[in-house]
Amino acid sequence: MWMVNVRSPHGARRLALGMFALLLAVLLLFPGQSQGLLDYLDGPVGQLVRLPLEAVSSLDQGISAMWQQYVSLQHVADENRRLRQEMDWLRGENSQLREAAAATQRLTSLLHFKEQALPAMVAAQVIGRDSSNRYKSVILNIGESDGVQKDMGVITPAGVVGRVVKTTGATAVVLLVTDPNNAIAGLIQRTRDEGIVEGVPQGRARLKYIPMLSAVKEGDRVVTSGLVGGFPRGLAIGTITTIDREEGALFQTAELVPEVDVNRVEEVLVIQSPHGQSAESPARPEVGGKAKL
Amino acid sequence: MKKFLVYCGLVLLLVPVQTTLLPHVAIWDIKPDLGLVLAALVGVLAGELEGLVVGLAIGWILNLYSAGDLWLNLVTTGGAGLFAGLLARQVAEITPTILSVGLLLLSLAGGLVAVFSMRHSTMSDTWWMVQFVVVPQACFDAVVGAALLWVVQQRLVVPRFGMLDRYS
Repeated sequence: MWMVNVRSPHGARRLALGMFALLLAVLLLFPGQSQGLLDYLDGPVGQLVRLPLEAVSSLDQGISAMWQQYVSLQHVADENRRLRQEMDWLRGENSQLREAAAATQRLTSLLHFKEQALPAMVAAQVIGRDSSNRYKSVILNIGESDGVQKDMGVITPAGVVGRVVKTTGATAVVLLVTDPNNAIAGLIQRTRDEGIVEGVPQGRARLKYIPMLSAVKEGDRVVTSGLVGGFPRGLAIGTITTIDREEGALFQTAELVPEVDVNRVEEVLVIQSPHGQSAESPARPEVGGKAKL
Repeated sequence: MKKFLVYCGLVLLLVPVQTTLLPHVAIWDIKPDLGLVLAALVGVLAGELEGLVVGLAIGWILNLYSAGDLWLNLVTTGGAGLFAGLLARQVAEITPTILSVGLLLLSLAGGLVAVFSMRHSTMSDTWWMVQFVVVPQACFDAVVGAALLWVVQQRLVVPRFGMLDRYS
């Protein structure tokens, strides 16, 4: 019977190379099956890793908070934080009101229209960033056990943050709007032209597939179109800064600055159902806890 | 058993360090890939087989907290452990300088595989990633790896796996 002696350098080398070759073959020939096999283990391992992750994250947040309060005046810092939250909320509300005004203009000829439904959301905290430098994503402290699933939209009151691409039992990974692998259906608020918002490696985003006849200009705001994906219509994505019109091209492309500074985001809302519940006026979400809205 | 527990502890601790603490020390938004550095160190100090196994475990766990593909993390981190072990057998003594050169090459290779397997709109985006992410990260990994090896050599006595077999 052939056996490998792992104590001998040659045996260990042969075994390691064989294992690596086998792994490569399995991953390339059966990508779905190998992913599915490991998915079974993701849940328990995710719960196990959650403990040190949350401990370090809360320690990190505690130290950051203490540092900020000692460096700057405590009352000023508190007031600043409150005003920033207020400003974010008002910015989001402003965007929704603009969208509502545009919709009202278009719908004045209609006698009956459905009351706009509010999305069902759950609040979450950002506890980490992508483990590699190649992707722009954040890690949330809620996961499958809190009802979070892949492709759900993630926002702050100011606008779109990204969408969930991966979940474990206790955490979720959100691909940010500035990542080149992300694509969100967008709409230019003034001209009503639709396109796809993609991230660019430099940390901004671009709106692609704008019709050549569109009268888009710098300063136009881009919102979610609500046609596909986990976002309702009218959430702010960003503001157009430059427009690229190439001769002979079929479409225009515009670069935009995201509405949310995704590098500093700390609390977010996960949209569990874009058209979940109907209400007369939006309730202000209490950010920071795991409260379902 | 003790070694297994040490590796488990290291892998579990690696996740919060890599995802929560390292972003604070990022330079121009680039942080070192501690998973790759650790896998390579294990490969160098304990041999290619342990390097591969620990690298695969690190790649899988870190992949749970990254938007990247599973195969990419497994292949790059596991491969780093394996090839670090194989390369370490070719030199008589591992110094921080030699390790940093090896890590630079391994990190560059892993980064290039990852970037060219990603979907980018234009070639200029791909080159931007190579220029401003892959190369700086490889340099960062090399420096961190060399520093870690220097600390290990100063504080611990770790016999390299296979050295006695090789010269006996």
